Amino acid sequence: METSAHPPSTIAAVSPAVGHSRWALSAAACAIGILALLPLLALFWDAVFAEQPSPLGLGYSGAEQIQGTLLLVLGEGILGAVLGTAIGWVTASCRFPGRRLLRRAQLVPMAFPAYLLAASLIDWGSYQGLRIHGLGWAVLLLTLANYSYVFLLSTESFSASGHRLLDASRSLGVGPWAGFFRICLPIALPSIGAGVTLSAMEVVNELGAVRLLGVPSLSAGILDRWQVEGDPKGAALLSLVALAIVAVLIAAERLLRRRSRRWNLESPSRVERAWGLRGWRALLAQLLCLLPPLAAVTIPALWIQQGWPNLQAEPLTELVQLAGRSVSLALAATLITAGAALLLAICVRWRPAAPVRLLSWVAGLGYAIPGSVLALGLIVFGGPLGLSPLLLLVWGYGDRFLTVGKQGLDAALERIPPSMDETATSLGWSWLGVLRRVHLPLLRGPLLVGGLLVFVDVVKELPITLALRPFDFDTLAVRVFQYASDERVGAAMGPAVLIMLFGLAASLALVPSLERHD
Amino acid sequence: MELQDGERLRAWEAQNRVTPVSKFSAVAFGIRSSYPFPMIKSQFHPHVLHLGIAAAATVSLLGGITSAALAQSRTQVVNVYSGRHYNTDKELYAEFTRQTGIRVNLIEGKDDEMIERLRREGSKSLADVLITVDAARLQRAKDLNLFRPIQSAALNRDVPANLRDPGSQWFALTRRARPVMVNPSNVNLGLIRSYGDLARPELRGKLCMRDRSSVYSQSLTADVLQRAGRATTEKWLKGMVANVKQPFFTSDTPMLRAVGQGDCGAAVANTYYLARLLTSDNAADQANAKKVRVVWVKPTHVNVTGGGVTRHADNPDGGRRLLEFLSSPTSGEGYAAANNEYPAKGWGNNATLRSFGTFTASPVTIQQLGQRNREAMQLMEQAGWK
Repeated sequence: METSAHPPSTIAAVSPAVGHSRWALSAAACAIGILALLPLLALFWDAVFAEQPSPLGLGYSGAEQIQGTLLLVLGEGILGAVLGTAIGWVTASCRFPGRRLLRRAQLVPMAFPAYLLAASLIDWGSYQGLRIHGLGWAVLLLTLANYSYVFLLSTESFSASGHRLLDASRSLGVGPWAGFFRICLPIALPSIGAGVTLSAMEVVNELGAVRLLGVPSLSAGILDRWQVEGDPKGAALLSLVALAIVAVLIAAERLLRRRSRRWNLESPSRVERAWGLRGWRALLAQLLCLLPPLAAVTIPALWIQQGWPNLQAEPLTELVQLAGRSVSLALAATLITAGAALLLAICVRWRPAAPVRLLSWVAGLGYAIPGSVLALGLIVFGGPLGLSPLLLLVWGYGDRFLTVGKQGLDAALERIPPSMDETATSLGWSWLGVLRRVHLPLLRGPLLVGGLLVFVDVVKELPITLALRPFDFDTLAVRVFQYASDERVGAAMGPAVLIMLFGLAASLALVPSLERHD
Repeated sequence: MELQDGERLRAWEAQNRVTPVSKFSAVAFGIRSSYPFPMIKSQFHPHVLHLGIAAAATVSLLGGITSAALAQSRTQVVNVYSGRHYNTDKELYAEFTRQTGIRVNLIEGKDDEMIERLRREGSKSLADVLITVDAARLQRAKDLNLFRPIQSAALNRDVPANLRDPGSQWFALTRRARPVMVNPSNVNLGLIRSYGDLARPELRGKLCMRDRSSVYSQSLTADVLQRAGRATTEKWLKGMVANVKQPFFTSDTPMLRAVGQGDCGAAVANTYYLARLLTSDNAADQANAKKVRVVWVKPTHVNVTGGGVTRHADNPDGGRRLLEFLSSPTSGEGYAAANNEYPAKGWGNNATLRSFGTFTASPVTIQQLGQRNREAMQLMEQAGWK
């Protein structure tokens, strides 16, 4: 396991200076970083030099909003960690009837945006005389919408690492529970932490669901201060608090990463070492794995069943237009995002210097910024310049989802050994040639899947679209939101179902990657 | 050879920090993490993807073509930012086009965002008309210098003076009345004659209200504040908030359902929500809504949908004509009826609304409502209105 005997060299250090075109690469990466950062800089510039003098302070409502977001993050974090880890371990390390199907079913909740779950549950509940309101429900619904992150990461860890240790412990008479708590869980802890971090960022960004459930939150507070109270400084201050929370989350995740490195060196064993479950144990495992996806499907299904008489079908041409705009925007955003992500990832590979790495990290910050804040930033400098709303819109999408596209590329590039680049470079190819003839063929899979995720994220995306779209350019998500905020649930149903179908299609696309670990 | 490659790759992994997050990506993005080294294979059949892309491109092309706007002379187009979103509005706009030859382009969004967008775009904005819901928002748009004064005999005739800006910058187009809704099996109908009665101890635990962030709650409080003064309003708020069955509602429809179900005895809600439930195709909603009685407190608080021509409009004349059209007795009724609202003048022809009877509207002008909004919000926060 000791690796220092053959220190691998970075490409930049050994590769001959073939052409000066790498400067073009660096320049392009710099441009992407600056473009990604511009909206945020504009926002803070605007806040600092705001015309109206407002006393800098958060006040009582600010404290309430910070507390609300922290409680949401905490509650969702704990519940999501427990649920995701439990299901991840049971489906990876145990055998029971229906396991394969249930394992795939865990991807289903990803298809349902939290705001749709909240809106449909509140509406359905009001028919039954049930009040769906407050922090408890918010935590439950956000957990349902986001626990899949923890599941995906932890189950990968459970099926891929710690086999030898587990085999050894079993030979020493350690049972399944002790094996889980003393061996598997400590090994998987970093993965679980990373999953929790990802889901926590989603929680910090959540706007629609928490508003509907009446939970004060930072994301709502930022918007209200800016737009309703006309207090950009206060809004910027709250955004800083939101960014600080996200920074703490990222730092915690990095700390866990560092611990994780030593566990990844073990080669996978192919020995069957699952615990067979029978009788009530099998039933319990099935229930555990069945309930969350079932709940995610049942909530909108109940709502649709209840509201069926109210269903006012949107004219078909209107639906086609809405879907067409959603899809064309998503396609454009996907192409741009994938291109930018590829450039950044390649640039870090060729020039792994600290500033370039920092730039690539900064460019990915958009993922951590609430969409509504990003949209404001784009309006702040795009409005006075008279930039086209469509341009700003796609810019916003790219900024927000760059990380989604880039993570898969980074991971894939890490797995392409440097010897390939070295060989290609020694044959006299520039980075462009290597990209075209070596990297691209190898990266086609992750590039396409990353693009797919961006695509669906854009289709579901609401705040940026709502704030920036041009005249007569409603999309599916916008229409759902408008109907829902007018409390006209029946009319919202058609476009909502289309969004959920898009989401389901995308989560189904992830199934093959799950299967691989079985 | 095999062994060397394996060692090398592991070293490479160690160097490059194969992290949980990148492992997540590996799972999520379908990267083959098991070796044979070093091929990475797509999990997707390329043909399926190509087919998908082709289909998506076709659909988007279709959407692009259908939504493509014909280039027209600027005087033949009115661009509208609107906080309203009713499909029937579009029929009215189409009627306007038939009558005048002027096409209406529309962005419908959240009211506050529309105002902020207009403000940020400044002189570059393409919008000619801003239509928004709520007195305070109209006033704020005026304070932000987003409107321009317009002289129109038709607007002055069709919109009562208390429902338009004294400086002729904005005009109300529809009225939204907010009376008290009561379930008679729970609360004695004679108990409530004014909003002040909402503070009566008999209502403890039976009153349901919208939350503080609702503009309807805010302008109701501003109305009371303008008529009764600060001290009385503070006392009223204290008594009323004590009566509220927590938690506060975030929307009117579930609140009205709760009144019908007897979960709430009384609530303050806009009439159009009740009208919508009464005319719903859902039998449960209809039956439930029939148990709710409208109590016309004296005077009843009224809020508005209103609009104005923007400061930097390229087609101010077209904007004025659109506002005149929407406030005219004939089409204005349609604009109000789209959402079961009352027209700016009179009671309209809506049968459901007529069954509620008529009311005495509050004498407080829309401008005053807007001006007292901030103070009202502060008092609400102090009183513990969530």
